[in-house]
Amino acid sequence: MRLFGKKDVPLDGDASGRFLPWLVAIMVYLAALALISALTMSRAVGHWQEGLSGTLTIQVPQEQGGEKAGAALDRILKLLLTTPGVREAKVMEPDEIERLLQPWLGAAASLAELPVPALVSVTFNPAAEPDFGVLAREVAKISPEAVVDTHRAWLGKVRSLARSVQWVALLVVALITGSAILIVTFATRMGLSVHGPVIQLLHLIGAHDSYIASQFQAHVLTFALRGGIAGLLLAIATVFAAGQTLKGNEALLLPDVALRPLDWTVLLLLPVAVTLVATLTARVTVLRTLARMP
Amino acid sequence: MSSCGPFPSASIGGILVRFEDVSLRYGGGPEVLGGVSFLLAPGSFHFMTGASGAGKSSLLSMIYLARKPSNGRIHLFDRDVAGLTRLEAARMRRKIGVVFQDFRLLDHLTALENVALPLKISGQRDEKVRHHVAELLAWVGLAEHLDSYPPTLSGGQKQRVAIARAVVGRPNLLLADEPTGNVDDRMAVRLLYLFEELNKLGTTIVIATHNDSLVARFDHPVVRLADSGVRVDRPGRGRA
Ligand SMILES: Nc1ncnc2c1ncn2[C@@H]1O[C@H](COP(=O)(O)OP(=O)(O)OP(=O)(O)O)[C@@H](O)[C@H]1O
Ligand SMILES: [Mg+2]
Repeated sequence: MRLFGKKDVPLDGDASGRFLPWLVAIMVYLAALALISALTMSRAVGHWQEGLSGTLTIQVPQEQGGEKAGAALDRILKLLLTTPGVREAKVMEPDEIERLLQPWLGAAASLAELPVPALVSVTFNPAAEPDFGVLAREVAKISPEAVVDTHRAWLGKVRSLARSVQWVALLVVALITGSAILIVTFATRMGLSVHGPVIQLLHLIGAHDSYIASQFQAHVLTFALRGGIAGLLLAIATVFAAGQTLKGNEALLLPDVALRPLDWTVLLLLPVAVTLVATLTARVTVLRTLARMP
Repeated sequence: MSSCGPFPSASIGGILVRFEDVSLRYGGGPEVLGGVSFLLAPGSFHFMTGASGAGKSSLLSMIYLARKPSNGRIHLFDRDVAGLTRLEAARMRRKIGVVFQDFRLLDHLTALENVALPLKISGQRDEKVRHHVAELLAWVGLAEHLDSYPPTLSGGQKQRVAIARAVVGRPNLLLADEPTGNVDDRMAVRLLYLFEELNKLGTTIVIATHNDSLVARFDHPVVRLADSGVRVDRPGRGRA
């Protein structure tokens, strides 16, 4: 056995060594889930935004006072093609609409039996977008019940939802960091008082405070790292399971939750960060407590 | 109440320990030591005697900086100890080896690890010192117990581990509080030779003891603690 291998302060037998890794695991697990939700959410928003920018849809009710929408549709198309900034405008074919609606309505539904509006899909130049207010007014003149949908209201709502999710995630991470600091401080103080005689002896044979602090740091380092890695593995397993469940459920319109390199970096940094915070807390606690001793 | 003669070694080689009118009381209790003054020259060898409860351990604890005097001044290695920072105190303690009356071994470390502790603390982590530590333990008769844990050792064996730990770093000052209280006379003499050996290498030594025959056998000055104060008897002078 190595002569200097053992810790001088016998912290490994302490109760803290048994319950702290679990607490750290739970904390890292929660923090990881919070971060993954925030990251996934902001990616989803980006994904939707990208898909929808430079497009708008005009819904024209199929029948208007018995009159077929066909005539109105033609006039709207003509209007669009003379509007500056518009690149393309086309009426969506019924089977295309059917395909879009199928996940919501089921295969059995037949469009013919439903009052599905005609849809005009418009693409415009995002750099020189048309005046939507003017466009809406002009369309209303042709067909008062037609709706010009720029997706903006919807995207705005989604974006503010994403922002809330991010704030909540940040709050969760902050709270978890706070609890980690409290728990480690408490456990370190316990260790200091339980091992008071040993620490006194170490002082008497010339150990400086930082020598004793390093013993506590080594102890905290092992349990924080162990608990952190366990919590992270659990979080990754949870995300994977969630991904499997959501797959094949496109109705949710979520982009896949598979983790990207950035997510992996953030997640892998989590146990490292927790270990760093815990170790630093232990050091500060020991140094502060000992400095107050006579 | 200094009775160290005309402060003989003040000019030659400086002073290692200087007590000036030091008194000590625990809490609000009575004075355990009062008006104590004496000097220890570097390289000196002193016994310290006094009745049980006279304050020998208390006095030593002020030298190894475990306690501050209630009154008076203590100088160690030419520094007033009152002005030491925690770091400076720690550094100074590394120059002092202490054999505690109650040993104070760490129960979760083996005899070998206990003895190596001061080396570890002073930053020596070379596993090569194992040989040196084992040799020292063999010298005090514990070759068979290198890997024993203190709770499994006898009182005398623990005492010898404590002595080995105090001398392993070759301290400048060795304070031994009743270091032979738990061993037979032959071992006591052997341990005293160890201290003399160390003393020849330059370590200043103070040994608190009740063992008068040991004091008589080795010709060293005696610091006597009594109600009347502290007196230092040089060998050859009459002993109380
Ligand atoms: N921590 C303490 N708190 C209060 N009183 C103490 C404390 N330590 C020692 N004393 C008192 O101080 C006095 C001197 O004790 P000390 O241990 O210094 O004596 P000693 O000379 O070493 O005795 P012995 O020869 O029995 O070891 C005693 O009256 C003792 O009761
Ligand atoms: Mg004593």
